[in-house]
Amino acid sequence: MQSQLLVQLIINGLIIGTLYGVVGMCFVLIYKASQVVNFAQGEFLLIGAWVCWWLLTAWDIPFFWGFLIAIAFMMAFGILVQMVVLRPLIGEPIISVIMVTIGMSIFFQALMKWMFGTFAQPFPPIFPVAQVNVLGLQVQTAYLMSTGVSLLIMAGFAWFFKYSKMGLAMRATAFSQQVAQSLGISVRQVFALSWGISAAVSAVAGVVVGIVNGVSSALSFFGIKVFPAVILGGLDSVFGAVVGGLIVGLLENLAQFVDSQYLKWGNLYEIVPFYALILILMIKPYGLFGTRDIERV
Amino acid sequence: MKKIALSVVSALAIAAAGPAAAQTLNIGHLADYSGGTSDVGQPYGQGIQDTIAWINANGGVNGKKINSDFNDYGYQVPRALAAFKKWVGTDKVVAIQGWGTADTEALVAMVTKEEIPYFSASYSASLTDPKGKVNEKSERAAPFNFFYGPSYSDAARAMVQWAAEDWKKKGKPGKPKWVHMGANHPYPNSPKAAEEAFAKELGFEVLDPITFALTPGDYTPQCLTLKQSGANYAYLGNTAGSNISVLKACKTAGVDVQFLGNVWGMDENAAKAAGDAANGVVFPVRTAVTWSGSAPGLAAMKEISKTSDPAGTAYRPVHYLAAVCTALYMKEAMEWADKNGGVTGVKIRDGMYQKPNWVPKGTEGVCKPSTWTATDHRSTTSVDLYRAVVNGPTDASVAELVKSGVIKLEKVATVDLPRKTELQGW
Amino acid sequence: MAITSMRPCGDYRTSYRADQTIFATRLTLIFLVLGIVALCFAPLFFSRYVLSLMIQIGYLGIAALGLNILVGFSGQISIGHAVFFGFGGFASAYLANKGVPVPLAIVLAGLWTTIVGLIFGLPAARVKGLYLAIATLAAQFILQDFFVRAEWFTGGTHGAMAPPFELFGYDLSGDTRYFYVVLFFVVVMYLGATNLMRTRDGRALIAVRDHYLSAEMMGVNLTKYRTMAFGISSFYAGIGGALYAHYIGFMSVEGLDILFSIQFLGMIIIGGLGSIMGSLMGTVFMVLLPELTGALASALQGSTIDQVLHLKDGITYMREMLIGATIILFLIFEPDGLAHRWRLIKAYWKLYPFSY
Repeated sequence: MQSQLLVQLIINGLIIGTLYGVVGMCFVLIYKASQVVNFAQGEFLLIGAWVCWWLLTAWDIPFFWGFLIAIAFMMAFGILVQMVVLRPLIGEPIISVIMVTIGMSIFFQALMKWMFGTFAQPFPPIFPVAQVNVLGLQVQTAYLMSTGVSLLIMAGFAWFFKYSKMGLAMRATAFSQQVAQSLGISVRQVFALSWGISAAVSAVAGVVVGIVNGVSSALSFFGIKVFPAVILGGLDSVFGAVVGGLIVGLLENLAQFVDSQYLKWGNLYEIVPFYALILILMIKPYGLFGTRDIERV
Repeated sequence: MKKIALSVVSALAIAAAGPAAAQTLNIGHLADYSGGTSDVGQPYGQGIQDTIAWINANGGVNGKKINSDFNDYGYQVPRALAAFKKWVGTDKVVAIQGWGTADTEALVAMVTKEEIPYFSASYSASLTDPKGKVNEKSERAAPFNFFYGPSYSDAARAMVQWAAEDWKKKGKPGKPKWVHMGANHPYPNSPKAAEEAFAKELGFEVLDPITFALTPGDYTPQCLTLKQSGANYAYLGNTAGSNISVLKACKTAGVDVQFLGNVWGMDENAAKAAGDAANGVVFPVRTAVTWSGSAPGLAAMKEISKTSDPAGTAYRPVHYLAAVCTALYMKEAMEWADKNGGVTGVKIRDGMYQKPNWVPKGTEGVCKPSTWTATDHRSTTSVDLYRAVVNGPTDASVAELVKSGVIKLEKVATVDLPRKTELQGW
Repeated sequence: MAITSMRPCGDYRTSYRADQTIFATRLTLIFLVLGIVALCFAPLFFSRYVLSLMIQIGYLGIAALGLNILVGFSGQISIGHAVFFGFGGFASAYLANKGVPVPLAIVLAGLWTTIVGLIFGLPAARVKGLYLAIATLAAQFILQDFFVRAEWFTGGTHGAMAPPFELFGYDLSGDTRYFYVVLFFVVVMYLGATNLMRTRDGRALIAVRDHYLSAEMMGVNLTKYRTMAFGISSFYAGIGGALYAHYIGFMSVEGLDILFSIQFLGMIIIGGLGSIMGSLMGTVFMVLLPELTGALASALQGSTIDQVLHLKDGITYMREMLIGATIILFLIFEPDGLAHRWRLIKAYWKLYPFSY
């Protein structure tokens, strides 16, 4: 019985971990390209989820199309946000930029409540089967879809950054903005695109979380949940974000196992990722896969 | 600058009000429309606003109008504090319609000192002891705090009692297992001690509590632990948002447990959002009927509702009705105060003590008979338990869903707890 | 970051002593003393609402100054300031309930918080920048969890009662009297910080921020100063929190969440990083912003604009949006903070009409 629980928790950890990984990836993408820690990432999830929900319920659009439109919308939205809000701040101290993203999060949180109300809203049923059995664990189909889509996105990212011209340009910009600029790369375009992609991928995660839990403004809390994941993996490593996400997902579930079976402390599920975070930072101050530009002092 | 702006505004207000200024009663209204508890804060706040407007349109308090200053504090204590100071310092309010755990707990000492009755939507049992230390478990005195409905602890006790009877009725063998689920946080923990002590007393095996945060997320691990623990009755201590996540995750994981919600943890909107996962959840309701029920007092409620919804088509969730009752108790206490020496905080408090089994006029069959005394602020110890029934897809508005019977709140029991002093204040 | 040492031409110093004074000119000192004296009469003129806002600005301003010492002066970001603020409140309530006189309890609470801050500052010895920021995020969650668990210390989820402020048997609670308590602490703490910045330790902090390699080569012990910055910052947070606890009379874990921590960050960024007076200006801004938007909202409620546009509940949301938008616009147009603008205004008047 106990081993069965453990197996189920590990599977669940991997599935949720992939989701954290995807959100973490969005986060890293923006950080890598423009050195901005985006505190409004959770609101990107939220907006994506609301837009998709609205398309599905108000316009009766099939899920597939609604999902695509929501992603496209978020892409445009991300680019717009970068152009209107963040472009004027290029060259300003990082911390001002961070504060701006906090301001954005307050702004969009209120706007979403105004537009869509304060109640949690369910998505219409999307999949013919609501849950699937994976090695004895009943899993929401939406989570499976998210795992599938996440893997696709990750593969897409890998290709994009390795082979496409734009991806290479983004990596170059991340490496050194000045050099990239002098090589004829439009840093503006790169910034805008990284925000666009990040917002679009966030929408995917937002919709998945929305399908499972219903859409409500509290969904934006996911934005903060991925911090440990991102730091574990290293702030500027896309691959690291995915690994960090998986680790955090697993850690949460294992903590719950240990807590409920042996320790009985309660609340380990919430706290353990943060203890792990401090521990890892003490051993590897730049995260597991981050660039080692943080000198030990 | 601020000072100037304020004085200009107040000067204008006085000029506009003119000689009638003496005829208004100032109150403060604290609400959360934009913060972490806005999903239930909005209907509750709307209920208060509508009732005040309705009172003013229908004769006021013995002819005096209530001037309510609305403040959305976004569930942030500093903002509630600032609002409170403005109300005592500038507006000289005689009563306050408050909201949640955060503001109510932070302001207990201050409302006591200023002698302003504070009608909260926080039903923490620690607010029911006006003298303090009525028994050793009571933490502190709260002589100016009032709320309408059973306290969190009494509601939880009622559910324990119901669960014990349910277990007997089903004729299952062995000891039933009880588990408390919720965040480690003031609100979910408020009834925990009371509920677990009572469950032990009634022969439950009380399992280790299961923690889940107040925000939506993936709670599959918690559900798997719940399943493995073999619990029969699980009390959900959180507010609606995260309860929905747990209910859904547990349904997916195939957990067979009777869930028990709390006052703010389940309502029509949560049932809609959780869909069939909410089916069967038992939870306390403060009023005798819901919006779709039938009672003589509902006519008045529908009139009040029309102040913000002239078409009269809106469906009002349970929190709206509770808010209307709360505001009407305040109004009648004000009327008593007006006839007995003037509307002041102290007199309104005394007004609250006047009638045993008190039902505000015109709300018969909706607001439940309540009794406040100078030594006991438990308005009632009789708890109505309802079951959320969801049978079908919930992709329509709440009004339509209730009309078509997809979402039903059906009464399962009324539990009358004995009004013991040793159970007061915790 | 604003260059604090930028001065208009003609303003030069000829000795180290002159360069290190707390008050740049005699006039500054006179204005400061006059300002404080004027504030002493504030309770006579202002309503309790305004006074309570000033008290709020006071204790939040002390905590914000602590954060500014950490972020603005030593260059380390913290996203967990609220829990140190909370720790100070709980510690002071705990001590006062154990019979320690409240004024002493407040100071002791500050010292206790310093120790906690030093512990959570330990990662600063090894990590910096955003990684450190997120380590402080861990402090936020870990301490929040601790507050709920440590029932003996914090009263658990019920919270702790904090007795009113008394000095030699004289009750100093209530807005008008407590105002002086907070004013006293604000003056002492702000002077303390100003003084700190002209000592070796203070300048070492700035050196670590500006170029840690050079600083190390000049004999500044990086680990010591990075960790010390956490300690000082926590001391300020603890004092602020303790003042808050005795003002409200009650301390609860609720409200000490990450949003509150972020608000502290907002205060110092808007006020100006690395500026002592900026911390206070930023606090004033962040405390008054919701109040002003609230006043605006209630003025709008039921007005013709409201009726024409059918705003109703929308007004409350617009108010929140206005808060967010103000922060965004402010940072776009005033990224160096209020302190910088203040300097510009001063320079403008000083040089009028021949500004350059």
